[in-house]
Amino acid sequence: MNWPDSPNDTPLGDGRFASAVERPTDRQELADALGRLAAEGIGLYPQGGRTALECGGIPARPGVAIDVTGLSRVVDYPAADMTITVEAGLTLAELQRTLGAQGQRLPLEAPAADLATIGGVFATDSSGPRRFGNGRPRDLIIGVAFASSKGELVKGGGRVVKNVAGYDLPKLLTGSMGSLGVIVELTLKTRPRPEATALCWSTWPGMEPLEEVLGVLNTSRTRPVALELLNGPAAEAVARRSGLDLPAGGVVLAVGLEGTETLVSWQLDVLEAELGGASGLVPVRGSDADRLWGALTDHPAGGLALGGEGEASSALSFKANLLPSSVVAFVESIDPGRWEVQSHAGNGIVWGLGRPGIEVDRLAEDVTRLREAAVSAGGNLILPRCPTDRKPSLGIWGAPRGDWELARMVKRAIDPAGAMNPGRFL
Amino acid sequence: MAVAQSVDISESLRAELARAVGPENLLHHRDELVVYECDGYVIEKNVPDVVVFPTSTEQVVAVVRLCNTYDVPFVPRGAGTSLAGGTLAVGGGVMICLTRMKRILEINTRDRYAVVEPGVVNVWLTRALAGSGFHYAPDPSSQTACTIGGNVATNSGGPHTLKYGVTVNHVRGVELVLPDGRVVEIGGKAEDTPGLDLAGLVVGNEGTFGVVTKVIVNLTRDPEAGRTFLGVFESVDQATETVSGLIAAGIVPAALEMLDTLMIQALEEAFGFGFPTDAGAVLIIEVDGLEAGLEHEAEAVAEVVRRNGGSVKNAIAWTTRKEPEYVAIWKARKSAFGAIGRLSPTFCTQDGVVPRTKLPHILRRITEIGAKNGLRIANVFHAGDGNIHPILLFDERDPAQVRRVLDASHEILEECIACGGSVTGEHGIGVEKMEFMPRLFSPSDLAAMVALREVFNPQGRCSPGKMLPIGVGCIERKSPGRHAPA
Ligand SMILES: Cc1cc2nc3c(=O)[nH]c(=O)nc-3n(C[C@H](O)[C@H](O)[C@H](O)COP(=O)(O)OP(=O)(O)OC[C@H]3O[C@@H](n4cnc5c(N)ncnc54)[C@H](O)[C@@H]3O)c2cc1C
Repeated sequence: MNWPDSPNDTPLGDGRFASAVERPTDRQELADALGRLAAEGIGLYPQGGRTALECGGIPARPGVAIDVTGLSRVVDYPAADMTITVEAGLTLAELQRTLGAQGQRLPLEAPAADLATIGGVFATDSSGPRRFGNGRPRDLIIGVAFASSKGELVKGGGRVVKNVAGYDLPKLLTGSMGSLGVIVELTLKTRPRPEATALCWSTWPGMEPLEEVLGVLNTSRTRPVALELLNGPAAEAVARRSGLDLPAGGVVLAVGLEGTETLVSWQLDVLEAELGGASGLVPVRGSDADRLWGALTDHPAGGLALGGEGEASSALSFKANLLPSSVVAFVESIDPGRWEVQSHAGNGIVWGLGRPGIEVDRLAEDVTRLREAAVSAGGNLILPRCPTDRKPSLGIWGAPRGDWELARMVKRAIDPAGAMNPGRFL
Repeated sequence: MAVAQSVDISESLRAELARAVGPENLLHHRDELVVYECDGYVIEKNVPDVVVFPTSTEQVVAVVRLCNTYDVPFVPRGAGTSLAGGTLAVGGGVMICLTRMKRILEINTRDRYAVVEPGVVNVWLTRALAGSGFHYAPDPSSQTACTIGGNVATNSGGPHTLKYGVTVNHVRGVELVLPDGRVVEIGGKAEDTPGLDLAGLVVGNEGTFGVVTKVIVNLTRDPEAGRTFLGVFESVDQATETVSGLIAAGIVPAALEMLDTLMIQALEEAFGFGFPTDAGAVLIIEVDGLEAGLEHEAEAVAEVVRRNGGSVKNAIAWTTRKEPEYVAIWKARKSAFGAIGRLSPTFCTQDGVVPRTKLPHILRRITEIGAKNGLRIANVFHAGDGNIHPILLFDERDPAQVRRVLDASHEILEECIACGGSVTGEHGIGVEKMEFMPRLFSPSDLAAMVALREVFNPQGRCSPGKMLPIGVGCIERKSPGRHAPA
């Protein structure tokens, strides 16, 4: 199989295109297709809502797109057990609507929820601001089924909330970037929808006081579910995206809360005292809060995934993972003239989006420096978005780690043909 | 049902092991080894040929290398509280006991993690954190004895993991000595380390991936306050209906534990905690969080209790988990197994899981199965998770009773599977439940698991004969000098 002669309507990312598309509506059919194609040496590229196709190394061999959106049923939703089993092609938004009808939700957010499939969200280990209070994808998944390049359906975990039978394949598949197999089904823990949510949007003249503020919030009398730190340009972009009239122009710390109306109101009052040094405080509640949550969730993807109406897309973005205590110094070292920076500060995650109009060379220099800083602070830095020609030199997945060799061996054990998403991750 | 196998541990291996760990950290006399013939699962026994107590990662590496050189199997062991035979030295060999690697290396509340050696007893970390405003959330009932290394290997749960998540949700990384002696750092102190989530895979491996020599765990904020109380019921049915009712109402308590009448009576006889001995069942219910919301939540819980015919007793409002009444309730819960001795010379604890709506059904079935087999069964378990622990009482000296216990256990676990559940929520497969694996998983599922084990443990030298049944894939590569596991 060769790369197609001309671009078609099935991009694989990095300007490459699929030679064909498989869109099975039955998981066994999907597994059979994988086995057959892999045996012919064809690359297999799983796709959901295509919101993260640019993320990862360059597709290494010609191949077939495996479109999972034909598998989108709710398999089992025993609401009274607070679990749900769904096929991977269901969108996150659709899943949340199904759960919402029973007063429940999956306490997880990801960019472009209307497009992003639940399989894709878990495969890419996506999350949003509320991971601080509600956990990560790995904390919500209790069962998984995937199709392998051997043409087999493999499952791990189960449908009950507590289960230690066998190795934890649900965790292994979460964040595996389609490099082990195609996730076809997931069983997830659900939670009651909180009665109220709110954000306290606080503006600050500069970064300087913020490490102390975050230290105070670390032992706050409140129990925030999100601690979002935004530099000037990111604050402006988020405010704009939310459509709310929020003060921007300086550094912003947005503290998120959830619970009963009473608890949320009480916490907003307490925060007012704890954030005493802020130059401005705006409580954001009700449907305004929903819009702000949406903007904070979508912003790190930079409108790229979304096809960004009227938004210039950033050519280069990074995600650094640090210890929370090193976030402020790290963000402070980044030129707001070049980068929009948003941090899930409670988790040590820092996103940077190269600003439109800044030369890629300049951004690339910053990336190299920031990665060194991240690594020496015990973290790392990856590039969710990077111009294709820079990918080989910049290193998409960060500085090499001691456990990568083991990860590659795991990949070989599950995908001996090396057919799954070749070039992208492992 | 002794497995009765051993390998020839040569004089020279023993001498080299003694050099590696120091003679004071090695046992090889038969009478000293007997203690290590089994763990909390007493139905199968086999003495290891030698037990070593390394005090550093380097010593673990040296021991593992020697086992490779001499082609001898080895098995890691923490406190030996496994209830599934996880530490059984199948085929004999070297037992690597981690209890002398017991330092808490670092506590960092700003970044919410701690680094510990594997032999640190679970409750030591809790104690070290007292007053810091943070705690280590997984709290198995055995927490005063079991080690964090053992918790990682078995993915332990506990009463409070209902709300806060089990061990895997709290492990950021480990240092692992692979079965060939290489040391790898998996995961790390920062979240989202790039690469596969191998930390997630390693938790719950039941000692089949190597020896964990360091663990980086999450620290969790203490709740501002809590309410703990007893829901007292005339029947088990009312109690289990209450559990289902709470979950269905979207209430997630911090803990939700059930004790039946047999268990309550044993506890009262042993310790006199003040549980109502005339009750058919008691739920220990705890809600925690911000004080401003607790009355509301506690009242919502009490409403469900009353609707199901129960009453609320012994309500305690607390702000630290130090109040004497609070300590007493949880001491009682966590002493439950200790009280069983009053009822029976031997017991076997099962560990099944059902969807929470099926709790009333499974408890009724347990009663029927007990009656049918002429066995007394006590129940004390993590009800909020649907994680049952029927305790089957018997006399180990009577082979007929042993048979009936095995039959009844089997039947209970089959019923859990039929309900869409699992045969183990937290104790692990070990040697005890391997036969159930093909009931839960297809040949391709098991083949994938075998393939994963071979990545870490290609020679099968580390903890042979555990978790994955023999005959799937090509696991039993018999090497000379090692008897095949029974
Ligand atoms: C009274 C009682 C109550 C219990 N309550 C609970 C409960 O509430 N929740 C729960 O989950 N469990 C419970 N258990 C089971 C048991 O305590 C847990 O499984 C515990 O995690 C085992 O820890 P340990 O240190 O005793 O490990 P061990 O029993 O020594 O070993 C358990 C397994 O871990 C492996 N292992 C141990 N250390 C290491 C290491 N450093 N590296 C690699 N592998 C290792 C062993 O090979 C074995 O497979 C209970 C047991 C008892 C006796």
